[in-house]
Amino acid sequence: MWTISKLTFKEMISKKIFLITIIMTFVFLALYGTAIYFAAKESANAAGAIQGTEAILMQKFFASQLLGVGLYFSSFITALLAILSSVSAISGEVASHQIDTWLMRPISRAQFVLGKFIGLVILMMVYAGSLFFGIVLLHQGIGGEWMALDFQPMQLIKAVSVFVIQPFVLIAFGILLSTRMTTLNAGIVCIILYGASFIGGFIEQLGAVIDKANLVNIGIVTSLIFPVDSMYRKMTVFLFETSDNPLSIAQGGMFTSISSPSNVMVWYAVLYGVIGVVVSIYIFKKRDV
Amino acid sequence: MSVIETNALTKTYNGKGGISDVTLSVGEGIIYGFLGPNGSGKSTFVRTLLGLLQPTSGEGYILGEPIGTTKSREQVGYLPELFRYPDWLTGRQLLESHAELCKIPVRQRKKRIEEVVELVGMTGRENGRISGFSKGMSQRIGLACAILNDPKVVFLDEPTSALDPIGRKDVRDLMVYLRDQGKTVFLNSHLLYEVESVCDHVSIVHQGDMVAQGPWRELMVTEAKVEVVTDQPITVPMPAFVTEYQHKNERDRTRMIFQLENESDIPNIIHYLSSHQTPIYEVKPITPHLEDVFLYWVNQKKENMYVDNQ
Ligand SMILES: Nc1ncnc2c1ncn2[C@@H]1O[C@H](COP(=O)(O)OP(=O)(O)OP(=O)(O)O)[C@@H](O)[C@H]1O
Ligand SMILES: [Mg+2]
Repeated sequence: MWTISKLTFKEMISKKIFLITIIMTFVFLALYGTAIYFAAKESANAAGAIQGTEAILMQKFFASQLLGVGLYFSSFITALLAILSSVSAISGEVASHQIDTWLMRPISRAQFVLGKFIGLVILMMVYAGSLFFGIVLLHQGIGGEWMALDFQPMQLIKAVSVFVIQPFVLIAFGILLSTRMTTLNAGIVCIILYGASFIGGFIEQLGAVIDKANLVNIGIVTSLIFPVDSMYRKMTVFLFETSDNPLSIAQGGMFTSISSPSNVMVWYAVLYGVIGVVVSIYIFKKRDV
Repeated sequence: MSVIETNALTKTYNGKGGISDVTLSVGEGIIYGFLGPNGSGKSTFVRTLLGLLQPTSGEGYILGEPIGTTKSREQVGYLPELFRYPDWLTGRQLLESHAELCKIPVRQRKKRIEEVVELVGMTGRENGRISGFSKGMSQRIGLACAILNDPKVVFLDEPTSALDPIGRKDVRDLMVYLRDQGKTVFLNSHLLYEVESVCDHVSIVHQGDMVAQGPWRELMVTEAKVEVVTDQPITVPMPAFVTEYQHKNERDRTRMIFQLENESDIPNIIHYLSSHQTPIYEVKPITPHLEDVFLYWVNQKKENMYVDNQ
């Protein structure tokens, strides 16, 4: 099993797409850093006119929005990569018949699926985690005093843990599809569900703002079907909200969360991923390759 | 104990194609030829034995272990007919990964890899990336992979499809080498001459049915034909064991083809001709065309079925 994980890991790293991804990630981080630099400079000037509580509110709002947007895109990139790498994990090897010589070795189908899953998950979780800290560090560092938000170490740890659940769920789901479908079909299904989850999350936020339970429920249902966007929301809650901070509600907006997914949702997402892998193994055991 | 044993093993694809009702038993230390035209179900059979396909019905055992279990694949090697290996690996990395999967102890790996690379004639080229390998080189590295774990039984599915004549001979030698070491080689092929020169025992499959199995010589002698070159048309009366003959005149030679009752009649006809003062320049037994052999055994099987039904 570990051999398969290692191979999966190495395969991803040895591909040209990996190098491109890494380069583009640095480009993205550089752009983000530049944006933060100028935003901090301009905002500090503009905020000079306003005083008191209002100023603090505004500062918090801007800062959390900017960090939120950076993290949102990070989560988007991570999601796409997780989908693209997992939907071909099984189907691609079956189609090219490369799988034959692996599966004829004394390893079980379960070990093969698990090996693939672990290899991909480790890689994508490391990637997601690095991106998360990259964004936070840039934001806190370049943004300077005006931009910096107060985070407890515990908050960051909780937030990043939830942040890496997203690739975990997506990879489990992508592999599940790839044990049954062709790479292209699995990719399309995954991306559409991801989009639906995003829209569901958005509607949920909207529902929370205008206080409409129906809309919030739509969001909850979509996050039950595909608990991905809700993990992003939960991450922002961990990051921006402290129970003793009365101002936290005011930090809402497009990229942070007003309606907060419950803790149960986090466990649901983890369970969702685990069940995805178990079902993949079950399906793949019976499949002809 | 038989190395491979199947009992009415069947694999069909939604009721179509595949191969049905194969019962066979392959002994230790032989080269077993699994012979049949394209689409007769050879690859399907081997892939079912290796657990890549789920059998539709019947059962099979490799070294006493039921097929489909990981244990049944512990002492097995396989060269697929579509040999595709991860092309981002080098030949050596591929072999290292397989060595890991086969649990070859770390300290023996390097030595064993060098051995098999040598055996398949890839020494010096194993460090190149597989993406840069020619088809023949890929097939050779595939062979190296198949024998890496010193398996007791090796399945080779058309192992020479990409090889030049020298490569073919190398593979033949390799198979004989494996047999001499007491290994069993299960060879899938549609090439009669390939099977002919090395196989001890063969099965003939046709359209998903096993039509015959037995020692090579017995199966191939479906008819005894011999070509004799003389310098003049033969005028003497033909003996009774010649069932049919034809002749063709070529400048100063005459080419005769005799159809005989038995293979043992070949020396008889030569003796007969020379005792009648016919000069003989050339004698060549005519091996039947594969198609003819197939058809012979297919018809034979149909007749038997007819007899059985009576
Ligand atoms: N995946 C599949 N789905 C449906 N039918 C298949 C599949 N694979 C093989 N078949 C059918 O099963 C039969 C046997 O195919 P198989 O590949 O086992 O033949 P083969 O003897 O190996 O032929 P070849 O000499 O061309 O390699 C063929 O009629 C083929 O059409
Ligand atoms: Mg075949």
